[in-house]
Amino acid sequence: MQGSARRTGVMTDVHRRFLQLLMTHGVLEEWDVKRMQKHCYKVHDRNATVDKLEDFINNINSVLESLYIEIKRGVTEDDGRPIYALVNLATTSVSKMATDFAENELDLFRKALELIIDSESGFASSTNILNLVDQLKGKKMKKKEAELVLQKFVQNKWLIEKEGEFTLHGRAILEMEQYIRETYPDSVKICNICHSLLIQGQSCETCGIRMHLPCVAKYFRSNAEPRCPHCNDYWPHEIPEVFDPEKEREPGISKSNRKSLRSRRH
Amino acid sequence: MLQKPRSRGRSSGHAERVRDSSQGGDARAPRDCVAEETPSTSRGSGGSQGARSSSPQGARGSLAAPAVGPRTQKQLELKVSELVQFLLIKDQKKIPIKRADILKHVVGDYKDIFPDLLKLAAERLQYVFGYKLVELEPKSNTYILINTLEPVEEDAEVRGDQGTPTTGLLMIVLGLIFMRGNTIKETEVWDFLRRLGVFPTKKHLVFGDPKKLITEDFVRQRYLEYRRIPHTDPVDYEFQWGPRTNLETSKMKVLKFVAKVHNQDPKDWPAQYCEALADEENRARPQPSGPAPSS
Repeated sequence: MQGSARRTGVMTDVHRRFLQLLMTHGVLEEWDVKRMQKHCYKVHDRNATVDKLEDFINNINSVLESLYIEIKRGVTEDDGRPIYALVNLATTSVSKMATDFAENELDLFRKALELIIDSESGFASSTNILNLVDQLKGKKMKKKEAELVLQKFVQNKWLIEKEGEFTLHGRAILEMEQYIRETYPDSVKICNICHSLLIQGQSCETCGIRMHLPCVAKYFRSNAEPRCPHCNDYWPHEIPEVFDPEKEREPGISKSNRKSLRSRRH
Repeated sequence: MLQKPRSRGRSSGHAERVRDSSQGGDARAPRDCVAEETPSTSRGSGGSQGARSSSPQGARGSLAAPAVGPRTQKQLELKVSELVQFLLIKDQKKIPIKRADILKHVVGDYKDIFPDLLKLAAERLQYVFGYKLVELEPKSNTYILINTLEPVEEDAEVRGDQGTPTTGLLMIVLGLIFMRGNTIKETEVWDFLRRLGVFPTKKHLVFGDPKKLITEDFVRQRYLEYRRIPHTDPVDYEFQWGPRTNLETSKMKVLKFVAKVHNQDPKDWPAQYCEALADEENRARPQPSGPAPSS
């Protein structure tokens, strides 16, 4: 966190509207965030120069500090898009999820989370998750109901679904990284480059170290002979492309080799 | 954040979790040290933010003598933070938040300083997010958040059209109620809405189930009151404005909406206009402020 030299910023209606809108979305991609920032300025302070996004957010975060929440910037694991979400900094029981979902629904999420973390690919199949329905705490849940709950998680951007398998949404990783690292210290995977939590990624077949796809892309950029940073063995996987904010103004799925990356063995 | 899986037999009660963290069970020791240091310096300058500078400082001083064991500054801040987030999330559903729920899920054994916690939370909600915490009705012990920022049409665009189209229907019903003298029979409501292509028994493209919306959802959200009219056969009900409506909008605003729809001036309805004016004057008079919880 910030050092003691930081001054607490000032909130104006521009910042408040921004914060309200960010909360409504839960998580937003960077270009959406910039557009939203401009919109807030237009509503409240037409003539002011729009702050650089980083400064704007740092200002808000210095105010949010006393509430133990912050606007956090992350990167999507599959194609390296920058995303922003409002996250909890304190590990307490009250959170966006705990208040939104029933006890058995939360437990279903927990089970899915464990399967995802334990898996090699970072994905847990719908079948495997649903088979755990009998072990859930709270009110009994049928598989049919559990399927709907999983869809609710996808809609609320806690999980992503791809071809019947589930992984964590970037929002969940942003919000829960600390909780996950504390709760599953033995099964958690870490990226060798950025040292953050890793759910999806590539791994070296010789020494086992792992890297996020965007981290792989950056590390091996314009490298004709990619080698493992740890054991120097030839890196056996296809190097994905780096997300370039200048090239892609449109949101949504980048034309990246999503399918081919997914089906690869790690 | 999920609770850490524990082998305790008890259900995952929030109060239990809170007790853990309040006994210094935070696993993040290094962060604790840093956070303990920063309050004295950054909070000092934080105290000068806006006109509310004195209350947090002053309130903190008065929180120094709790009934259940010593609580650190950090624990209190965490508690306020939990309360703020709880209120924000609960209010998203537009269902009034009961004091009992707040006490049960968040406050726990900080019950003795609940009024102070609530005041601090209200101050943060206002300054940081622009929401005013208000009691739905005096002594009701239920709360809602009122947005002090005016809704802007483009917000819906920026929100990616997640906005509520149902607000349009609500405004129509509120207008109807006001123009007919603040109360209207349900049969009359449907007579009117039928002309707009909205039926109680037919699924609507935009509103889904209009009957459920009007007689259940809006009522539960306290925008409308829905009462059975005694001695009616077949049974009829009447609608009036609910307590949330009076807090979130006003007779004048609704009259202006109705006038706009008819492409006329509010003054074209003298009786309603006078009533709306009187209401405005009432609102301008200073009210007893704050979400002061009645004990």
